[in-house]
Amino acid sequence: MIAVSRRDTFPLAITVLALAFLSLFLLYPLLKVFGASFLDRTGTSFTLANYTRMLSSSFYLGSLYNSLLMGVLATLVTTAIGVPLAFCLARLPIPGKSALLALAALPLVLPSFVAAYALVLLLGRAGIVTRFLRDIGIPFTSIYGMTGLTVVFALTLFPFVVFPTLAAFKAVDISVEEAGQNLGSSRWRTFWTVTVPIVMPAVLAGALLVFIEAIESFGVPFVLAEDKPILAVEAYKLFVGELGGNPASAGVLGVILIVCTALALLLQRYYLGKRRFSTAARRTPPELVVAPWLRRLAAGYSWGIVLIALVPFFAVIVISFMEFRGPVMHPNLSLNNFRDLLNQSSRPLVNTLTLSSAAALLAALIGVPIGFAVTRFRSRISDFLDIVAMTPFAVAGTVLAIGLVISFNSGWLVLTGGWLILVLAWVVRKIPFNVRASAAILHQIDPSLEEASINLGVSPLMTFIRLTVPLMIGGVIGGMVLTWVTVASELSSTVVLYSGPWATMTVVMFQALEGTGAGIASAAATVLIVVTVLPVALVYRLLRRHELGMM
Amino acid sequence: MTAISIDHVSRSFGTVRAVDDVSLEVRDGEFFTLLGPSGCGKTTLLRTIAGFADLTAGQIRFGERRIDTLPPHRRNTGMVFQNYAIFPNLTVDGNVAYGLKARSVPEAQIKERVARALKLVHLDGYGERWPHQLSGGQLQRVAIARCLVIEPEVLLLDEPLSNLDAKLRVEMRAEIRQLQQSLKITAIYVTHDQEEALSMSDRIAVMRSGRLEQVAAPQDIYRAPATPFVAEFMGTTNLLTGTVTGRDGDITRIGVGQREFRAPSRASNGESLTFSLRPETVRLLAPGEAAPAGWATLHATLARVEFLGALTRLELDLGGGTTLRVASLDVLPGALATRGCVVAAYDPRRVTVFGGR
Repeated sequence: MIAVSRRDTFPLAITVLALAFLSLFLLYPLLKVFGASFLDRTGTSFTLANYTRMLSSSFYLGSLYNSLLMGVLATLVTTAIGVPLAFCLARLPIPGKSALLALAALPLVLPSFVAAYALVLLLGRAGIVTRFLRDIGIPFTSIYGMTGLTVVFALTLFPFVVFPTLAAFKAVDISVEEAGQNLGSSRWRTFWTVTVPIVMPAVLAGALLVFIEAIESFGVPFVLAEDKPILAVEAYKLFVGELGGNPASAGVLGVILIVCTALALLLQRYYLGKRRFSTAARRTPPELVVAPWLRRLAAGYSWGIVLIALVPFFAVIVISFMEFRGPVMHPNLSLNNFRDLLNQSSRPLVNTLTLSSAAALLAALIGVPIGFAVTRFRSRISDFLDIVAMTPFAVAGTVLAIGLVISFNSGWLVLTGGWLILVLAWVVRKIPFNVRASAAILHQIDPSLEEASINLGVSPLMTFIRLTVPLMIGGVIGGMVLTWVTVASELSSTVVLYSGPWATMTVVMFQALEGTGAGIASAAATVLIVVTVLPVALVYRLLRRHELGMM
Repeated sequence: MTAISIDHVSRSFGTVRAVDDVSLEVRDGEFFTLLGPSGCGKTTLLRTIAGFADLTAGQIRFGERRIDTLPPHRRNTGMVFQNYAIFPNLTVDGNVAYGLKARSVPEAQIKERVARALKLVHLDGYGERWPHQLSGGQLQRVAIARCLVIEPEVLLLDEPLSNLDAKLRVEMRAEIRQLQQSLKITAIYVTHDQEEALSMSDRIAVMRSGRLEQVAAPQDIYRAPATPFVAEFMGTTNLLTGTVTGRDGDITRIGVGQREFRAPSRASNGESLTFSLRPETVRLLAPGEAAPAGWATLHATLARVEFLGALTRLELDLGGGTTLRVASLDVLPGALATRGCVVAAYDPRRVTVFGGR
């Protein structure tokens, strides 16, 4: 670490600028949300009336209950699926493992609400599979509700558990397990008493991500929850409601949502704070030798989970090439859906491509210097910046968007109605990822390289531009592509913030879900899938050395 | 041509004083070494000169010019890092030219000066190579060339040899010393290896817990350590404590356990003294051999023999729990064959007494 020098204005400048940006576009909007929830109708005096009103309504209390239940179920099922999968991938001989690993990472970038929509197309009330089952006499109503939500979250979020757990299983030093057995413990007992406790923190870290992703999700419950109220969806409905919007009530739900995620984060910190294992594996555990039937079972399980997770996306692509007459699908191949989609306007596609690029660029331009400042120049103010930069992680897109609208729809800075507010929201949401990713890259670069450059007469600012950035560039580009891909399919803040000409592909799909029909929606979904998978595949080939699992 | 003056410099990390009120004058063209165990503050002191650690108090001047108020990139020091810090994204040429480009030196001149610097470190013809194609020793040479090419006022070396293997380390230390002398550049060298320090330096500062223990030429540091810490840190020694029992002229008699030692001191009877007697200054007398004039003798039992090839280390039991270490280049087989009583002799004037008057 480079010691902070009184004369180093550069890291201080980064920190101050970054804090200014985050204060304006993150903290201020959040404060506005809190403000809206605690102020009375005139907007001048403090009141708890909004909270008592909302929490005494069984409907909104139900939304809190449903959100938490949804989060817990998603976490439990995802962990139950993910941990065995991680174990199989880490310790058992699975055919085609590298391909499997690449495919397993795909759900991280594919839009989850597309999977939800695909599930409706297959298993909804008029779904293809549903009708088929009815035709052959099996009574099956539909997938809506908690079952559907849990299935979609499990299928789209399992990589969040698999990748950290896989890394942890691989990081267990084999000699620790051997020591356990040497001391007289059976293989099975050693696994439970030695391996599992070492892996536990990684599992929990992944599980927490799942919980937060699930309760912050807007698109999946919007598609699948049907009449069950869910916090993120109800906040949206209250805010953009046809009756002119209700910022106070939406604010209350937003604050409750933030409290839930913040509590989960604190709980995890508390648990992990007491359990820090440094596992500097000298020898990576070898693959276990097991009976053929067990090997086949493991291969079947691993491939099964990963392929089933991709089925919805394949289904959507296939369906998008089918002919639709009204809502009814006919088994003929056709490009009509795409024609209809583009006939509406090609503007949304252009918007998605350009605005996502702008956001990815800006997120890197802001996130990389922040990552640099918080890893290389530790001080009280940069520690504070680190915490602020991680905050968006605990804020649902819907809530951030509501805050941005309240903050910038009047006054000295008006952003609503334009494209910039979309880009800003996406950038703020992706700051934590960009900061973490660049911090991870920087940890691989010896700080004495930068010191050598400064010592040779290059100022800290120029050292950062001429030495540090070129050394980081591979990882930074990888991070930008992942940012691009995830904001291109961002839904929760986009639906609150878009306006007229600035609708994106996700908005088109969102509108198609509500109205016109499955044809255009599935075509839009296909476009989104292509738009996300192509760049990732490209980057994966180009930057194979850099871990894609950094997410 | 730069003398360095370090004037009451302190550097604290929280409540820890890594460098504690250090004052030093490094002469122009001097090879000056900061020596001490890890955590003694030697690297921190070097980094305050380079500008990577701020001063809590004090001043640093190059000649008459105060430099501790300058940002690190304006100090014109050349620092060689422990892990080389070679830019992996640049060729050898690119690395060496880096500092010149920062100084906006014309392209033609850069080429010439880079070639000259590489020649100086015996790397001519390596300019096109990439760092990953070089060995540790070659990387170290690139690091040195990269520093020298900018013609820094002072050269700062932070344990530059610690990542090299033993043989290369010995070669490189001679080479660095020679280079420094031919360029007449002021150099500050940080190391924890006392042999390295002794072999290369004009003067050595031994540091301990952020403070200077002693600043002196290698010979003086070794032969006349100022404190017990320096005596023990600079090679092995016998550090003994006893009570003054009498005197013969300049030589004081000091009782240690059941034995009596002799050492030059003016302490009076009954005073407690600590003194150091280097193992190699003690000689075992052959049976019947007389001790040289003025030498003191000790009767002892041979407790342990450690044969190290050129050198043999012996441990003598003086009784009462006192042992005396002896190192001898050429031990007579006969002396060891007795496997029991031996007579050790030493020159009292080679004993260093601490804390006495």
